[in-house]
Amino acid sequence: MATATAGKKKTVRINGCVASAQAAKYADVDVIAAYPIRPYTATMMALAQMVANGELDAEYIVADSEHSQLSIAHGAASCGARVFTGSSGVGVQFAFELYSPISGARMPVQMMIADRTLDPPGDFGSEHTEALSTRDMGWLMGWSCDAQEAFDNHLMAYRIGEDPRVLLPQMVCQDGFFVSHITTDCELPDPGQVKEFLPPYKHPYPLDPRHPVSHGPQIMPEQGPPLQLERARAMEGAMPVIEEIHDQFARIFGRRYDPWLEEYMTDDAEVVFFLQGAHGVTARHAIRHMRARGAKVGMVRLRTYRPYPTEQVAASLSKFKVVGVIETNMGLGSVSSGGSLYAEAVAALYEVPKRPLVFSFMAGMGGEAIVMKEFYWMTNKMIEAQKRGKIEKRAHWVGFEE
Amino acid sequence: MPAIEVQRQMLPMLGSPNQGARFYNPELPATEPFVPGHRTCAGCGPSIQYRMTSKAAGDNTILVGPTGCMYVANSSYLCTPYNVPWAHTQIGSSGSFTAGVAAAYEAMIRKGKWKGTFPNIICEAGDGSASDIGLASVSGALYRNHDCLIICYDNEQYANTGIQASSRTPYGGMTTFSPPGPKVPEAKTLFPKDLARMMAAGHPHCYVATASVGYPIDLMNKVRKALNHKGAAFMMIYTPCQKGFVYETPRSIDLGRLVVESGLYPIWEWDPEKREFDYSFRPASMRPVSEYLKLQGRFGHLHAEHIATLQKFANQQWKMMNVAIPEALIKAADAKNLVDMASAEAAAAVAQTV
Ligand SMILES: Cc1ncc(C[n+]2csc(CCOP(=O)(O)OP(=O)(O)O)c2C)c(N)n1
Ligand code: SF4
Ligand SMILES: [Mg+2]
Repeated sequence: MATATAGKKKTVRINGCVASAQAAKYADVDVIAAYPIRPYTATMMALAQMVANGELDAEYIVADSEHSQLSIAHGAASCGARVFTGSSGVGVQFAFELYSPISGARMPVQMMIADRTLDPPGDFGSEHTEALSTRDMGWLMGWSCDAQEAFDNHLMAYRIGEDPRVLLPQMVCQDGFFVSHITTDCELPDPGQVKEFLPPYKHPYPLDPRHPVSHGPQIMPEQGPPLQLERARAMEGAMPVIEEIHDQFARIFGRRYDPWLEEYMTDDAEVVFFLQGAHGVTARHAIRHMRARGAKVGMVRLRTYRPYPTEQVAASLSKFKVVGVIETNMGLGSVSSGGSLYAEAVAALYEVPKRPLVFSFMAGMGGEAIVMKEFYWMTNKMIEAQKRGKIEKRAHWVGFEE
Repeated sequence: MPAIEVQRQMLPMLGSPNQGARFYNPELPATEPFVPGHRTCAGCGPSIQYRMTSKAAGDNTILVGPTGCMYVANSSYLCTPYNVPWAHTQIGSSGSFTAGVAAAYEAMIRKGKWKGTFPNIICEAGDGSASDIGLASVSGALYRNHDCLIICYDNEQYANTGIQASSRTPYGGMTTFSPPGPKVPEAKTLFPKDLARMMAAGHPHCYVATASVGYPIDLMNKVRKALNHKGAAFMMIYTPCQKGFVYETPRSIDLGRLVVESGLYPIWEWDPEKREFDYSFRPASMRPVSEYLKLQGRFGHLHAEHIATLQKFANQQWKMMNVAIPEALIKAADAKNLVDMASAEAAAAVAQTV
């Protein structure tokens, strides 16, 4: 099937923002809700042009705020439309109220996030704090590390979120600038492949005058537990669907991703970086250099953050002696006084009999690039800890220590 | 695939817009998209309005309910009184959620994903939602001209949270956030935000009207005009709340007339074609504001000077509508000719019941 229709696929040079817009176009979205904030804006600019050119038939709404963007998305998805929206940084948080109602209503809204540091101080660079702050709101969530992966993740997220066994909204995240504004080769599929992979969205109980339903009525406290349990089960129940859809994607498009983790040079690794997003690209490069100098270092890149792949993380990280979590997010006053990835990695490992040493690196804050020199420094810190058999501290601020 | 043309409804006007007496109109549709049995208070003005509005709209309708009494008291225990599709949305999302519904139907019909006549899309937002926290979202929906009707059911306060001042609460109105006291004898010191006029002035391409539950046929015809108008429409409807206004529950409709007769709630339409206000609506009589105020506990603390201030305000409203002000109402704007609403103790007792 894939080869029969693969004729019209093409490779283009685009950045992450445009890859996301292309994915929305291939998904034939019905309603788009836009509001400007760098760096994700370029996605909405590209979609506006596609609509203006007649390449995509969608209602393109210039919303009055991110809160409105997400409410528009909620309303449109409730009627059975396929919806696309997005944001960055403070915009993600301006819409915060809507995340729980949308997942609670089981509306598979899709939101593209190109990460941006929160204020202060009005920095444009990528930090994952904004998206991670919404992590417990019932949205499927994961990070891409380049434009191609972003494109693919958008399509897979629609397919997973709209699956009647799941029905959950999705945040498809990419690092601002490192992915959103870096141009790379990206293969755009034949529309026939997308048609085969992504059936039209059909919500089981839309707002339709021919079949009246009420969405979101008030409850009494005793009606809360079953509703919350159902949402929790939807999250857990998404896990096998996510695996199934990744298989289907590989079959139809020829690109296979592990749904949960990318392991890079981990076969004989003793110390590994644990991270998500674009810094994985630099990490691969740095790892090759350090391996040439004899360091047994590798990388485990988290691809799906919600639902959190607890078993997979435990099975993977327990193979190593030391795990250095590269945070790129702020967990002020958190358990490690570092970022928030650490806590869940450690919790995932708790039941494992032979646990690695785990600590955080606060690196790339404010969207600063993490340079090779810093990867070397972090590798040394991990090797020192391995030798010592003990961590020095739970969180190292890279660039501020010897 | 070629785009499919969107078909829209045209609802006929109801005859005998008998503004005065209580009446029965046989033309009213039998359908009840808003059924009895919900948990709103006896005499609840917003619910009376809800029934009229949804009856006027009919069954090919989708309702949007931002947080407020018309969500909380209507849709309790997963049991709702809506016979047409209804969705709750956040209190600040009145305009935006509604815009999403309208946009979805535009796209789905055009792209052949839903077959049928474009439904009436009505948002029932409280005044807290429409004039404060959701103001920008309502303005956004009107500005972008989605084919929908946004109603502000105006009970002049945040009722559902236990009666707090909103920017629609009148001068002199007692709420739990604007209580009277020795330092602030009049309670609410600010005059209400002129929400409907803001919406008309700022979005002149929209149909905008005010209405009151005191005039059901006028209200329902305006709902139909608003729905027939292709594009966005906004209505602000006076809907008394006995819990917050503190009055005898059978008097909701009376208050709906008195508020208009006293000039405190001007009834008008904004015609988006002519770009003009239509002030031709005339109540059966004109009365001093004290006749309206004295029925409500929330004004029980007012002194003569405060009543005079409210009468001045009412006279300004009449003037704005080009109505000649009778001598008696000019006199009523002078505190010398007025008495205090009640003794201080009586007002305090009422405050306890809010
Ligand atoms: C974001 C947010 N803030 C506050 C509330 C609390 N709240 C619930 S109902 C309500 C009152 C709404 O007032 P209004 O819109 O006038 O409707 P009414 O209750 O008067 O019918 C408020 C403030 C809320 N639900 N959401
Ligand atoms: S408090 Fe007021 S608005 Fe709310 S249900 Fe009662 S009468 Fe109606
Ligand atoms: Mg109110």
